[in-house]
Amino acid sequence: MLRRRWVDAVVVVVVVLAFVLAPQAYSNETLLFQMMVYIALSQGVNILYGFTGYLPFGYVGFFGIGAYGASLLMLHLNWPPILALLGGGAIAVLLGLVLSPLLRLSGAYFAIASLAASQAVYLIVSNPALQNVTYGPYGIQLVSQFNPTLSYYVMVVILALTVAVVLYIRRSRFGTALQAMRDDPVSAAMAGVPVVRQRTFAWMISAGIAGLVGGAFAWQTSVFYPDAVFSLSISIFAIVFTLFGGAGTLLGPLFGSVVLYGMYNTIGISDPQYFQLIYGLLIILLVLFLPDGAASLLKRRGSHVL
Amino acid sequence: MKQLRRYLFGLAGVAALLIAGCGSTTSTTTSSTAPKDITIGTLYAGSGSYATSSLPELAGLKFWMSQVNKDGGVFVKAYNKKIPVKLVDYNDQSDPNTAQTLYTQLITQDKVNILVSDFGSVLTSVAVPIAQEHKMVLFDPTGTGASFFTPTNPYIVLTGLPTSAVWPDNLAKYLLAQNFKKVAIVYAENDFDQSQDETLTTQLKAGGVTPVYNQGVPTTTSNYDVIIHNIAATNPDAVLELGYPNNDIAFLQNLAASGQHFGFLFTIFPGQLFSLLEQNVGAKTLTDTYTYPTPPLLAYNSGVNYGMTISQFTQAFQSANGSAPNFLDIAGYNTGLAIQKTLETAKSLSQLDLRAAAGKIHMFTLDGDFTINKEGAQMGETLPVGQIQASGSGLKTVIVFPSSVATGTAVH
Repeated sequence: MLRRRWVDAVVVVVVVLAFVLAPQAYSNETLLFQMMVYIALSQGVNILYGFTGYLPFGYVGFFGIGAYGASLLMLHLNWPPILALLGGGAIAVLLGLVLSPLLRLSGAYFAIASLAASQAVYLIVSNPALQNVTYGPYGIQLVSQFNPTLSYYVMVVILALTVAVVLYIRRSRFGTALQAMRDDPVSAAMAGVPVVRQRTFAWMISAGIAGLVGGAFAWQTSVFYPDAVFSLSISIFAIVFTLFGGAGTLLGPLFGSVVLYGMYNTIGISDPQYFQLIYGLLIILLVLFLPDGAASLLKRRGSHVL
Repeated sequence: MKQLRRYLFGLAGVAALLIAGCGSTTSTTTSSTAPKDITIGTLYAGSGSYATSSLPELAGLKFWMSQVNKDGGVFVKAYNKKIPVKLVDYNDQSDPNTAQTLYTQLITQDKVNILVSDFGSVLTSVAVPIAQEHKMVLFDPTGTGASFFTPTNPYIVLTGLPTSAVWPDNLAKYLLAQNFKKVAIVYAENDFDQSQDETLTTQLKAGGVTPVYNQGVPTTTSNYDVIIHNIAATNPDAVLELGYPNNDIAFLQNLAASGQHFGFLFTIFPGQLFSLLEQNVGAKTLTDTYTYPTPPLLAYNSGVNYGMTISQFTQAFQSANGSAPNFLDIAGYNTGLAIQKTLETAKSLSQLDLRAAAGKIHMFTLDGDFTINKEGAQMGETLPVGQIQASGSGLKTVIVFPSSVATGTAVH
């Protein structure tokens, strides 16, 4: 037990140190920030998909509402950024609660319904009739709050918390219950697992992570339109990174995000004309030969992947 | 213990990947001696919804670069010599989040001397705070969002069009002059189109005309069937559709298919991307509709005191690229001219000196009068109202308002 805790602490410290030190070696902090965003989002997807089997195509809805929630708290109520960011996370959790009936669906139905819900949120936020509240299609301007350095380190903290939460879930009875529900909800319920409550709790944790990350993203970006924070590509990236690394593990989504997002930028910068071809081929190969992600390579050899 | 060691190796691997995955740093150019070239960094959308507008803009900038390099480079006052221009361009795929990373890449890794934003407000928006943070002047060809230009940001220069809220000034005056009482407006819900809608409705109301229909639609709208019938039900004297090229195309296609006809119909992009619109909706649908004519439809041949005239540019561009230029090619070229004039007059390559020099530019190019205000917004150019009319077997654009620049009268 003690060794496990020690390993968990090392994992969190390594992740934090990597991103605290990375700007010394590489000065494109925006890229590093976005990499953290995708690692945290893929871990959020991981909590839901990896542990409960629910694939949230509309995950970006929580990210977007977190970005808008935090921004509007700063703009309308003059909340300090860090507090507003926590508020953005809370608003995302609230949205998760409102949308929790979606969990009655499963499989493709849930994926499509969550996507539709995220689009509905997007259309509400960008609606010109709500211009006085959300600024509608004019987007958000946080120029007076813009602080890329502090927002970067706050994102490091959010990432560390996310990693810690995933580690906790993996180690806890709660995580075991979630996995039991994923494999066979009826049996889990018969064994006394409160399926609906536990699943809703996981859904809200996942929403809260996306909301916090969205708030940090808004603070770091400071000028953005609704399309930028409700773009479906954000959901797709988080899901692909999770699947590539291996859902249900901590290191899988971390590995997937670092490798694929690093590749996305390397190819996008050096050979943009081949980017879509290479990325597309990679995903096809993944689906064909590694449907359980890169982590399954190690698992096949009998190794335990954290 | 073995297991533990394996974890730690794994984590170290991920950390190493993290550093490696980010690429490598590049060297810094010292500013004491003349650089061997002036690097201009820009983004373009090679795919996605902004590609049709972004690629021509890049082509125009590249054309300008080829012209100056053919002549030995751009004259840089700070070194009193001509220096070749080099372009560093990345594909943001129309994604603002990717653009954000790539703008930072241009500044921090490529250490470009001049930063030019991608097409339009959405892809420019993310560049504005990044440029300001890194104290780099952002040469902005077509990002006309009014919120980019503030007294606290000295690092932006809008080289092409005026801010979008100013665009419909002449259009509103023309509608009032025509004594239209029933005006219907449908606009895409984005900064660019909604700001025009607000200006129009404010000015029309001041003139005693309240639009009988004023409806926003998502920018992604691709079917206007129901909207067209709703508008027709109000029996309007004039219909204005404000959108991006994809919206204009969908609206005009749906209108042609619906069998409805409006006596006065205005759309934005036939005036900028005439060939694209004609190709997609047909000459018949465009005939007698109104638009904002921009170069090359608005032909500045006399009075040009910097760079090529529109005729010279059209000929040279066509022979270099094999296709006739549209407005966005010209916007890209015009951005090059603004950079050129800035370098010719700036006392050093420091960003604040570049911005100060850009602020003093007064020139008349193939894109019209170039004058920016203190906030960096373009003030020189104005957009007249034009009508696309039948001319023999083709179409021509006639400027109908204001009378000072009119080239003909409207056909109803």
